[in-house]
Amino acid sequence: MASINYAFKEISCKIVYYGPGLSGKTTNLQYVHQKIPPQTRGELISLATDQDRTLYFDFLPVNIGKVHGFSTKFQLYTVPGQVYYNATRKLVLRGVDGLVFVADSQKSKMDENLESYQNLVENLLEYGYNLNKMPLVLQYNKRDLTPIIPVEELEKALNPQGLPFYEAVAVRGAGVFDTLKCISKLVLDQAKRKQLFPKREIEIKEEETHPAGVSQIPLGEQMTVVADSSVPVESQPTSTVITLVEEKPAPIPEEIIPQPLIALEKTQPGVELKIGEITGGNQMKAEMPVTKAGPTLISWSAGKRTKPKGFFLWRFFKQLFKR
Amino acid sequence: MKQDDLVIYEEQIEQIEKTLRRLIKDAQAKCVLLVDKDGHLITRQGFTQSLDTTALAALLAGSFASTREIARLVGEPEFSVLFHQGKKDHIHISLVGERTILAVIFDDRTTIGMVRLYAKEVSESLNQVLSSEKPEENRTESENRPETDSEYAASVETRLDDIFSDKT
Ligand SMILES: Nc1nc2c(ncn2[C@@H]2O[C@H](COP(=O)(O)OP(=O)(O)OP(=O)(O)O)[C@@H](O)[C@H]2O)c(=O)[nH]1
Ligand SMILES: [Mg+2]
Repeated sequence: MASINYAFKEISCKIVYYGPGLSGKTTNLQYVHQKIPPQTRGELISLATDQDRTLYFDFLPVNIGKVHGFSTKFQLYTVPGQVYYNATRKLVLRGVDGLVFVADSQKSKMDENLESYQNLVENLLEYGYNLNKMPLVLQYNKRDLTPIIPVEELEKALNPQGLPFYEAVAVRGAGVFDTLKCISKLVLDQAKRKQLFPKREIEIKEEETHPAGVSQIPLGEQMTVVADSSVPVESQPTSTVITLVEEKPAPIPEEIIPQPLIALEKTQPGVELKIGEITGGNQMKAEMPVTKAGPTLISWSAGKRTKPKGFFLWRFFKQLFKR
Repeated sequence: MKQDDLVIYEEQIEQIEKTLRRLIKDAQAKCVLLVDKDGHLITRQGFTQSLDTTALAALLAGSFASTREIARLVGEPEFSVLFHQGKKDHIHISLVGERTILAVIFDDRTTIGMVRLYAKEVSESLNQVLSSEKPEENRTESENRPETDSEYAASVETRLDDIFSDKT
């Protein structure tokens, strides 16, 4: 199961690639390892036989950065597909948050796919996990070979619930990222449903107390800003600048920029947030006083964007001057 | 699901790290790692800069899981301690409570006996911290905010699109 660390603001989820021997599970991870930015991943660890068959697992850690202020990590694992290795395969499933079932599309492999799927259900049951509640995505791999099983037939046999599925040629990378994106999304959605992400609370650390510090706050959301209480009062700055960013801004007509995009809703009594400069049409600087001992709490939310009063008059004059 | 997610709070980490530092000092170890049985690193102390601790955590959990399974197959209730002896460095792995693994890496400045003694000693206090009452209010998040949720979904999607992409 996912691990959440509030101290390090980290969430870590485990995704397991399952499926029959030689279906291409390891190939999926190798492709991901090769293609994603090196700073977002660790080393690919493969515990394999001399013939490159997975013996215990492959492991690839991926860090996708901040989601909800939490550094979000995925640990990608593959199991050994060979029937013989069920003991180790089962161990890899422990604590799984999401599954990718990699099926081999070749005509001759239908039985192996079914057997592996059955084995998955059994192994999950032994841990007391319910496959119906587990995020699961199917991948029909090796679509480049002939003869292959038509997708409809694979769907009927392996996916009666109608879960997301992707056709893939993992050796060339086709379908690999679509599959991974889909399962990551499902796993994060599940984490959110389980309310693993905490109340939106961010700490302004020292390095973030200059204008470069950006606290992203989507339009309409509230956020509590806490000054760093670990810094002694006397050495705390008297004010700190935060940048409020409206993510995903709708195209903003130039004329509307003078209107503050983010309206202050309420603050702790006695604390005033000084609204500062607006940049890029979707960002606004604000100055937050840090004069008290301990944290300063400020709740605020992005304001609804409306045309400023006098907007039409202003445009009228603007057009007048253009002439 | 049968098993809960592992949630670690700030107050816990402080105490855990303090305990681990004490272990390093008392046992004269090089470094220690505390790992979730599912392979997630909880925290580490000591000289770990040169180590790939993420990979190490996954491998330690795997190694421990397989050892346990071996124990079960030969009819042992549990091998509660695992010890790997190297030329220079050695590693002592033990279970803390039900779901956490403590790994101590040490060299010949100290002995396995010392490490075992202190690892056992701190295990109890670590377990206490790990199983202590969690502050509930930390997890509240208002529900039913469809706008917010869809915006959240959109931001996650962009992130995933950016990183999980074929363009190198
Ligand atoms: N033609 C073709 N070959 C593929 C494809 N995907 C993987 N392969 C090949 O299939 C073989 C097995 O791939 P692996 O990724 O090692 O299979 P696996 O599922 O990890 O197998 P186990 O570790 O035994 O469970 C390798 O030779 C791959 O190059 C594909 O889409 N098309
Ligand atoms: Mg493999």
